[in-house]
Amino acid sequence: MLLPHFAVRKLASTPASALGGTIVLMFLLLALFGPLIAPYGLNEQLYDEARQPPSAAHWFGTDHLGRDVFSRVVLGTRDVLALAGLGTLLAVLSGASLGLLSGYLGGWFDEILMRFFDSLLALPAMLLALLLLGTLGPSASSILLVIAVVYTPIVARVARSVVLAVKSKAYVEAARIQGESLARILFREILPAVLPALAVEASLRFSYAIFLVASLGFLGVGVQPPSPNWGLMVSEARQHVSQLPWMMVYPAGAIALLVIGVNLLADGLKRVIMGNDYL
Amino acid sequence: MFTQLCTRSRGLLVSGLFLLLLLVACGSTSESNTTSPQTGDEGARRGTLRVAMQPIVNADPIAISSDSEVLVANHVYDYLVDIDPQSNPIPRLATAWQISADGRQYTFTLAQGVTWHDGSSFSAADVIWTFNRLRNTAGTPTADLYANIASVTATGDLEVTFTLQNPNPFFLYDLSDNHALILKNGTTDASSSFNGTGPFKVVSYAPEDRIILQANDAYFIPGQPKLAGLEIIFFNEDNAAVDALRGGQIDLAMRMSSSLFETLKNEPGIIAIDVPTNGFDLVRLRADRAPGNDPRVIQALRLATDRQAIFNVVQQGYGAIGNDTPIGPLYAAYHDPTIQPPARDVAAARALLAAAGYDASNPLRLTLHTPDTGNRPNLAVVLKQQWEEAGAQITVSVEPESVYYGDDGWLEVDLGITGWGSRPYPQFYLDVMLISGAQWNEAHFANAEFDALARTAGTTLNEQERIAAYRDIQRLLVERGPVIIPYYFAQFAAIRETFSGFELKAFAGRTDFRNVSYVGP
Repeated sequence: MLLPHFAVRKLASTPASALGGTIVLMFLLLALFGPLIAPYGLNEQLYDEARQPPSAAHWFGTDHLGRDVFSRVVLGTRDVLALAGLGTLLAVLSGASLGLLSGYLGGWFDEILMRFFDSLLALPAMLLALLLLGTLGPSASSILLVIAVVYTPIVARVARSVVLAVKSKAYVEAARIQGESLARILFREILPAVLPALAVEASLRFSYAIFLVASLGFLGVGVQPPSPNWGLMVSEARQHVSQLPWMMVYPAGAIALLVIGVNLLADGLKRVIMGNDYL
Repeated sequence: MFTQLCTRSRGLLVSGLFLLLLLVACGSTSESNTTSPQTGDEGARRGTLRVAMQPIVNADPIAISSDSEVLVANHVYDYLVDIDPQSNPIPRLATAWQISADGRQYTFTLAQGVTWHDGSSFSAADVIWTFNRLRNTAGTPTADLYANIASVTATGDLEVTFTLQNPNPFFLYDLSDNHALILKNGTTDASSSFNGTGPFKVVSYAPEDRIILQANDAYFIPGQPKLAGLEIIFFNEDNAAVDALRGGQIDLAMRMSSSLFETLKNEPGIIAIDVPTNGFDLVRLRADRAPGNDPRVIQALRLATDRQAIFNVVQQGYGAIGNDTPIGPLYAAYHDPTIQPPARDVAAARALLAAAGYDASNPLRLTLHTPDTGNRPNLAVVLKQQWEEAGAQITVSVEPESVYYGDDGWLEVDLGITGWGSRPYPQFYLDVMLISGAQWNEAHFANAEFDALARTAGTTLNEQERIAAYRDIQRLLVERGPVIIPYYFAQFAAIRETFSGFELKAFAGRTDFRNVSYVGP
């Protein structure tokens, strides 16, 4: 709906975006069909095959407890994509709504909300996340909430800036003079103009959210072993890194690859949707 | 420093009286810096040992518990009686002792010429004051430990007699309890004054950073310590400490997982040492409420546990396989190797759980709590897999140590993994962990038969009777006990090879640096 056919074709014609799209698609498939693809369970321990380097039997080797690293990386995809994806979705929904409202209404509401967001943005994302997780208690739903809270201000600012440019246009004025309701003006008249910027912002936020989920996992916040969260896997691999480097290389590589894929795709989207001027 | 200055000056000045004077100055200074009054051996004390340890919280000996707290206290203060690495009581501030025939009177001769770091001299009054403080301060572990002491009296300026209410064959070990460091009579600021008789004096203490000590030149044992200084540098993470050792920022690390230890074994310039210990990770299920009040539940978990696999993957083959009793193989006289928990039998475990009312539609659901230190998180993850094969559903909850032990949470949870440090005699574990109502009875175990056996073992002066009681205790625990002990630890350390004389103890905090010397350039 957002991307007409020609846009998809345009995206696919750029090698970088095509690559990004392929990577993201691959991880999506892994997330959907992970349990069918992974040869072993996420906590299945093969005691006799512990600490083995990558081989035909264990593509990514086995960890210190004899678990198949490939299976764990595959099974961890769903965790990362679901948390980062849903979290981003929440952030975009709330950020867009608040940004639309704030930009359109202006006045004291806009002023207060934006100053509040400024104060949130003043804190590093990770610090804010740790603060929130400390108060909410560690769980998957609090990680979702954390991503939403951390990225809502950024999305809201982007949405608001577009609204400011659009709200004085004739067609918005016309709708207002016709006596349309606030909701109708915001969502029928203004939102379509905001959507392209929002799509680009959402894809960027998604890549940051992936990184945030992995980082929180690395710090051991909000996830418990034996979760195959990639960040947690990297953290667990730390004390084995000189002996079992594959324990760290593959989950870290998965994080990097997915983030790169999403970023390439986001760049492509930006180019297609907003034209080359924005790059 | 001054020696360096002298050397450089010597290069600048070619000849003359000035040089001569300077050399004389250098010579006399170095002599006064390094000569110990006892030995007269020039340069006997040199080098500073930099040790990585977790930060200390308590400095008052009555409240210390962690390896680092004990390590610091053990070098600032002295014990009356010490324990050697082979678990034998040896003299320290007490140079000799006599035990009455009925086992109720212990008379100690104290060392001569001992002085406190503040310069005052040590006497029997200090020993008496210290032990009265330890046994009369309510709410401390030593109040329980020393409840059996009837009186502590001076029978001479340098002689102290302890009278017991009941005979205690382990009394010398009790006197060497981690907390029983001798303080000066009347000390009021024990958590900050560091006024001991020990081999090192505190120069500076920066909480969360480091504590710097220098050799006590007036130490009462000739030739000790051999180092000029000791620096305990605080690390929160074992990984970081090992990296610092590799990078040359520290000389000794004593807390690490078996994986980290493996990585240090081939490191040039570093000696990696491991010793077997009586310490263990205790997996315990609360016995006073559901589901643990049904003995079939712990028995099923016992049957579902694969000890050999745990020993191989979690411990990487270091230490020894556990047999569910705290009377481990190092207590050679008391440990009975023929008493073993049942071999792994998943079907039998499943059947026991079914008999206890847990099946596929109503599985046994438990949360396994564990601190995030050592091999415990790995043990939790492995137990999860093994027990789930028998139909249980386990949720692992890895918690920072401060959370696990905070607010006595570890005594509350149903299922937990607790690390127990090595002790030189087994009675300690029975008295504080398993006897009904004991302060750290985390399994809330209450068994009259066990209590009677433990009492016999802890009071009889007849060694054969004690051996028999310990054997019965091992049998009882394997059959009906609330605990699973999957392995006994090895204790690890890695020290730079420029130091010699290092002898690692099973309880790392009691490791003694008095005989460690610097042999580097």
